[in-house]
Amino acid sequence: MAGSGSNRSRLLLVILLVSALFLITLDLRGVGITSSSRSITQTVLLPVQKAVSDIFSPVGRFMSDVKNFGKTKAEITDLKLANARLKKQAAFSADTQGQLTQLKNVLDLAGRGGYKVVSARVIGRGSASTFSQTLTLDSGSNSGIAKNMTVISENGLVGVIKDVTVNSSIVLLMSDPTFKIGVRVARSQSIGVLIGEGTGSYTLELLDPSGSLKEGDSLISIGSDNNRPYIPGVPVGVVTKVDHTTTSLTQRATVNSYSNLNDLGVVSVVLAAPTSAPNKAINPTPRPTVTVYVTPTPVAAPSSSASPLPSPSTSVKAKK
Amino acid sequence: MSPSRIGISTAFLFFIFVIQESVVSRIHFPITGFSLYLAVLVCLIALEKGNGAVVMGFIGGLVLDLAPTSQSPFGQWALIFTMIGYLVSSNLESIGDFTAEPITFVLFISVGSALALSIYLTAGIVLGENIGSFFRALVVVFGNFLWTLLFTPFFLPIIRRAREITLTPRERM
Repeated sequence: MAGSGSNRSRLLLVILLVSALFLITLDLRGVGITSSSRSITQTVLLPVQKAVSDIFSPVGRFMSDVKNFGKTKAEITDLKLANARLKKQAAFSADTQGQLTQLKNVLDLAGRGGYKVVSARVIGRGSASTFSQTLTLDSGSNSGIAKNMTVISENGLVGVIKDVTVNSSIVLLMSDPTFKIGVRVARSQSIGVLIGEGTGSYTLELLDPSGSLKEGDSLISIGSDNNRPYIPGVPVGVVTKVDHTTTSLTQRATVNSYSNLNDLGVVSVVLAAPTSAPNKAINPTPRPTVTVYVTPTPVAAPSSSASPLPSPSTSVKAKK
Repeated sequence: MSPSRIGISTAFLFFIFVIQESVVSRIHFPITGFSLYLAVLVCLIALEKGNGAVVMGFIGGLVLDLAPTSQSPFGQWALIFTMIGYLVSSNLESIGDFTAEPITFVLFISVGSALALSIYLTAGIVLGENIGSFFRALVVVFGNFLWTLLFTPFFLPIIRRAREITLTPRERM
């Protein structure tokens, strides 16, 4: 009997392990069932996340306000209650004010860059058990958001849209280890790749080993083909430390991002990049060049024995 | 495990998963985040006997695979927790029933969560995922261990009580 029970346990284990491996294979082969199940989960989670965001955002501020409230006497209980009510209202308006300021600043940045954007509230963050650094936004394909769109904050780049449902979208933050973006150094125009490290700092690898790089240099996104996933001209970060190791084939530097990824309430998703993109500066259109053709014209030789010197006749042609 | 218990356990785990994704993930813990879901799942696996631990591991892993923010292949957590469930069920008799001793049980849950994260990272590397720097991964595993150790004593009695409610009279005996 014990042997039969043990066999049944092993059979169950094998069935479950094979099922798990089957699911992994399906996912790696790009079968839609697995990805759509995650989208459905996101749709289910969205109302809860929105509700939690609405409740906890003002309550968190209210709690910190109440902490500093101090002791009050028993005879002013009514005043205390009224005061708490006012504090709560103030916390609500402070929260709204904070989000409004962020929204205004991010729209200012988008306006300066000429981007067409849609703004969204941050309603969730990546779980500790997934190891991925993500944000959940309360806007999705209904607002025109699609996969591989650039996400910016009031200070600069935040990340890229990784997944979209009808009413929500997931942003892969630039701090995620899988995140890479082409950037150029604003001062020297050297180009390189910025890589997320999973922390607050980033690694920059210059493509040109002799490129100029120094502390304090600002980095701007280069942009991708058809502006997907990255649009050009977005402020990315600032160089904080240059690695002068001579053994390395590329120049490396440590970079801090302009955006504080831990303190995002409102972000903007760039729907369309400007028509006159700043990246054109590193791909200048060729200018007409001047080519000079010199044709020697023989001159009738004088009677002397001196060799004839050609009298140059010059023709100038413009060649594009 | 009876089919009704499988259903109830799945619903309970999904409820914890929603709390994890909606509430716990929003809190900025120092060092790194805390995974309530991992702790609860390890706790439930340890409380199950025999095949129950394996089934619980598989279901719990599948629910965790539903995380929309996850970048790993669907089924990776199911595979890991099925193996953990089997390891627990096959070794529970030899190590004795520690679930009655609170300190040992809390330590087991903390180590189990850290172990699950470590196996997840290793499986990710095998499957070609980019997990970032080794030091950061170490910090994440250690931070999760620390928070689990601190918070588990508070929710462990609730989880025990909730599980007891789902047991059939036969299973209670």
